[in-house]
Amino acid sequence: MRINLVWKQYDVLVVGSGGAGSNAAETASEMGASVLVVAKDPLSASDTKISEGIATVRASGSEDDSEDTLSENLQLAGGDLPDVNITSAFAKDSQRAYDKVRANGLRPKISAISKSPDPLPLPMGGHTKRRSIGHKNSGVAFGHANWNSIVKDAKIDYKEDCWLVDIITENNKGDTKLIVGALIYDAQRGELLAVVCASIVVASGGLSTIYFPKTDTMRGNTGDSYAIAARAGAELVDMEQIQFLPFCLTSPPAFEGLLGGEPVTASYLGVLRDKNKKVILDGVYLRTRAECSAAIMKAVEDGRGTKNGGAYLDMTANKRAPKSGVYFMKFLKGSLPSAYNNVRQAMNKSESQCEDLWEVRPSAHYMMGGIRVDENCCSVGGSKGLKNEGIVGLFAAGQAMGGLFGANRLGSTSLTEGAVFGQRAGKNAALHARNESAMNRLNKKLFLEKAKKVNSLIGQKGHLHASRIKLTVQRKCWENLGPIRDERRLNKTKLFISQTKKKLKNVKISNNTKWNQSLIEYLELENMLDTAELMAFAALERDGSLGGHVRADRPNISLFSKPYSTIVRFLNDGVDVTRLPRKQTEIKKLIKFKFEEQRKFLGAKILRLMPMILKDRVLEKRYKKIMNIQKSSITVQPGSVEGAVGDRKIL
Amino acid sequence: MTTKDTKDRQYLNVTIVTHSEGKDMPINFKYKKRHEREKPMALDVLLQAQETKLPDLAFRYGCRARNCGVCTIDINGLPRIACRSVVRENDKLKAMSTLPVITDLVVRRDQISRQLRGKIYRNSGGNDLNVDASEDYHELTSCIECYACLHNCPMHKKNSIDPSESDERYEYGNPFSLLKLQTIVMDPVSSNSQKNDAITQAVNLGLDTCLNCPGCKCGIGIDLKGKVVNPLITASKTIADK
Repeated sequence: MRINLVWKQYDVLVVGSGGAGSNAAETASEMGASVLVVAKDPLSASDTKISEGIATVRASGSEDDSEDTLSENLQLAGGDLPDVNITSAFAKDSQRAYDKVRANGLRPKISAISKSPDPLPLPMGGHTKRRSIGHKNSGVAFGHANWNSIVKDAKIDYKEDCWLVDIITENNKGDTKLIVGALIYDAQRGELLAVVCASIVVASGGLSTIYFPKTDTMRGNTGDSYAIAARAGAELVDMEQIQFLPFCLTSPPAFEGLLGGEPVTASYLGVLRDKNKKVILDGVYLRTRAECSAAIMKAVEDGRGTKNGGAYLDMTANKRAPKSGVYFMKFLKGSLPSAYNNVRQAMNKSESQCEDLWEVRPSAHYMMGGIRVDENCCSVGGSKGLKNEGIVGLFAAGQAMGGLFGANRLGSTSLTEGAVFGQRAGKNAALHARNESAMNRLNKKLFLEKAKKVNSLIGQKGHLHASRIKLTVQRKCWENLGPIRDERRLNKTKLFISQTKKKLKNVKISNNTKWNQSLIEYLELENMLDTAELMAFAALERDGSLGGHVRADRPNISLFSKPYSTIVRFLNDGVDVTRLPRKQTEIKKLIKFKFEEQRKFLGAKILRLMPMILKDRVLEKRYKKIMNIQKSSITVQPGSVEGAVGDRKIL
Repeated sequence: MTTKDTKDRQYLNVTIVTHSEGKDMPINFKYKKRHEREKPMALDVLLQAQETKLPDLAFRYGCRARNCGVCTIDINGLPRIACRSVVRENDKLKAMSTLPVITDLVVRRDQISRQLRGKIYRNSGGNDLNVDASEDYHELTSCIECYACLHNCPMHKKNSIDPSESDERYEYGNPFSLLKLQTIVMDPVSSNSQKNDAITQAVNLGLDTCLNCPGCKCGIGIDLKGKVVNPLITASKTIADK
């Protein structure tokens, strides 16, 4: 059997129909470009749709919220790894980008006083201003707006159930690589699409599925964005920086990996215990996510892990306090409702009432690194970050891109990231296509060769199944490339990946052309392997703990050391790794920050050591204060700095 | 306790109806419980089947938390969201009957969205966005697009469920499409002509079918009859009277 090849021609191809993809498609179309959106999942079904639905909009809370302030907040949170031009672009566009989503039907609550959307009553952690706007129906409301933006005026062509196989480039003028199109497997129709186009926007999300089921994100996050861009020759940045949420559920299977709580919801008296009930981490509410995750994984490694490979989160002391206990439960339920809802369904009553311990384990949540781009979402490369050293015509937005968050992410920023950079990518992709016609350079042979390669897979004989190898990859990535890493583990990952790649020729692939699940599994497996390989190289290069990257065999990277990003790319059948120096925040600001953090930790320690009667009284006051100020029930967003105030300490 | 009893408690017998090239093939699958009291969801069963007996089993899923709306299948003939539907002994898991099956439990979905292509006019700037939407608007935008509402819908039944390849869209509507149109009517930002257009679109999709229908059922509990169908019927009558 052969899959038929169908030729298509567009100005702009957008890969992915989530927050970034839909915004890119709409903007490119408004610029007059012909646009095709392809996505493997149904329209708009993405991490955006399943998110908590809180978006950062500059100056929504106060007029003195300047672009510089927001950009600086992102820089500090990201440990100086973010690209200043990219954080500035985020700050510059957030209002306009958000209004564009509103034009498609997103309806926030409007304040009677300001006559504009009202942000949450307190700044979210790491933000120095109130600027995080919550929405009814959370991410689903964004899902509708994004859906509308693609469907509304029939100008944008879209195809669901499409897996992008490879981007096709051509060499031009020396070493410069230019986009000429892409080869896509349309599973719904059983066709291979040869899309000839000058611009491609990669907006196909993250990679958390390489840790499945230890993740709370969409299944489709098989690292496609990074793998397809890297195979085309693009550089990737900060690929070791993945955000793990430490307190996720371990069972039953249907809830495995989903969020249970954040460090801050463990509240003042929450501690972590190993299987023997011995305390392995106290003062949890002030710890970083990485610290919590590392403590859990360390216990597991020493054979002190719980049945499902985690640890116990003990919040019983919060609950037991005679006066403040009631307030604690209100705080827990109100501050992270979706997570508490998971707990209520998955655990028994005494557990969900915090009278018993929660079995918890980290989960992968968000990829902060990604395709190296400039503030216009153009792929760039080399020591100066030049466009002609990237892939000319390749753009990336949303979780696929790197350079905005660096080592840590501020809460409520990812939805805005999708809108801001989706729109920027769409605009620049359309402009590029105006000046460049892929048809002028069309070399059919390049497409035919790729198509031949895919067709040679159809009916491949073998004794292995890609879906099962995926499970092994997921287990190995968790063990050796997960929330705790060291040189031995990372080298093991590299070895495992190269061995597994050799096995691919023995994977059995069935004969059918329409929705060939074994072919789909194979294509995704390849992407997972390529992505994991690049991550392992970046993680080895980053030889100390920083942000989402925890090296058990190396010390923490100091706040005062010279910051750098890791850059990885495929080169001559291998992986090339370099360091890219980043600009450091003024020492004065760093010292001030460090001092404030130390003061907070001392306060927490004193509180823990107080006798119960005193402690109870202090806590009652604190809870009352929190609840009085925060009238809104949404206060903590999973993955936000506020969810783990300790994350600020690493800066 | 006999050995057989213990065994019964360890396993759950389920039928998974696979589908290839136009033909259904039911397969008996023994789900192995992680512990005696486990009450697995349909998605747990499908994942284990793929891991063990059926490595190439095709099915959709996404968030595993009832938010993304893509994992809907039929359980014993009724549409259910697989990630949050408990499976019982002898249950039958099959692709949704209301949409064309591609392979195994995967159905083609996009002929639904395509029937609204170019028809959901949205405010493209100029209008004041700073107006509050009603509770009803927000109830409608809680729809996760699971398509459970297609079940028993007389309007949707007027379509040939399995259209030819070239058929990009269904001619007749369904509760989801009506919901999207009613969202425009409920949107405080929509102009009167946009609202009237939306109501006309609903009529063109076959709204009259709803007149004799006892009402539709939403997968996540939106009051489709009260908040979508009835208001559209009333509004369409007002327009017709004019």
